[in-house]
Amino acid sequence: MRGKILALVMACLLSLLARTQDQANRDAVSKVLALEAAWNSAEENGDIRALGMIFDDSLLYVDEDGSLQNKARFLAHIKEVGGPLQSLVTETISVHVYGDTAVVVGNYHAKGTHRGKPYQKNGRFIDTWVFKKGTWVCVAAQATPTLR
Amino acid sequence: MRIVSYLFLLLALAVGNAQSQSLDSQQIRILALENAWNQAVQQQDAKAMERLLSAELIYIDYDGTVMNKAEYLASVRAPARDLEHIVSDSMEVRFYGQSAVVAGIYHEKGIKHGKPYSRSERFIDTWINRNGAWLCVASQSTPIAH
Repeated sequence: MRGKILALVMACLLSLLARTQDQANRDAVSKVLALEAAWNSAEENGDIRALGMIFDDSLLYVDEDGSLQNKARFLAHIKEVGGPLQSLVTETISVHVYGDTAVVVGNYHAKGTHRGKPYQKNGRFIDTWVFKKGTWVCVAAQATPTLR
Repeated sequence: MRIVSYLFLLLALAVGNAQSQSLDSQQIRILALENAWNQAVQQQDAKAMERLLSAELIYIDYDGTVMNKAEYLASVRAPARDLEHIVSDSMEVRFYGQSAVVAGIYHEKGIKHGKPYSRSERFIDTWINRNGAWLCVASQSTPIAH
């Protein structure tokens, strides 16, 4: 009898734990997706301050030309390009949460002008986020142009 | 009081030293896994490759193609080119608790459609430590513009 009660209590605890974990994952997904949207609007508006809060100081960023940039260089690049980025639209393919790490995979479509010339580009990205000091920050991001 | 402070300082130094040694060994482990990845690709060894990858792997190839683990393993088993040489360099590893991010450059040389080719790509791989084993959950490469 005592064994049955113990097994029941254990089953209830495990179910509660799984439900709590599911909820935590759902919260992480919605927070990271909100940050992805904030990144797009900050990049569209050339808002360096907002971008600075989204990225961790250790950021590794691989741009679509294959260049590796740290946080300072990436922010300087955004400032230098300085828009006008007419639009930056992303479509998320998937978000995977692994404890304090989240990986976002998606497509992007950017439209703007560079040195007076209009451009349009499409690509795919993977962004890696980690939960640090109570907030999610992006630690790695990469873009690959879509060739086909 | 001074002795207690001194003991705490020694303890903090010892813990710091142990942590940095552990980080160094983890770094060596991750770099070894990256090299094992190259070997598995070169030898078309999908079985060895399978052990490095998480079931949830997302792989974005240099042309933007998205693959899951099964699709990527199929491409390792039957590559669309004859590989002669694969090597990675300039690798940087960053640790964040149970995850690690590696950025580096991947050089590949071979023959495709009867013609020799060589290309360099920048990659970022994200690894997760699960029960002591590191598994890659995301990998992407981008051609380096010349």
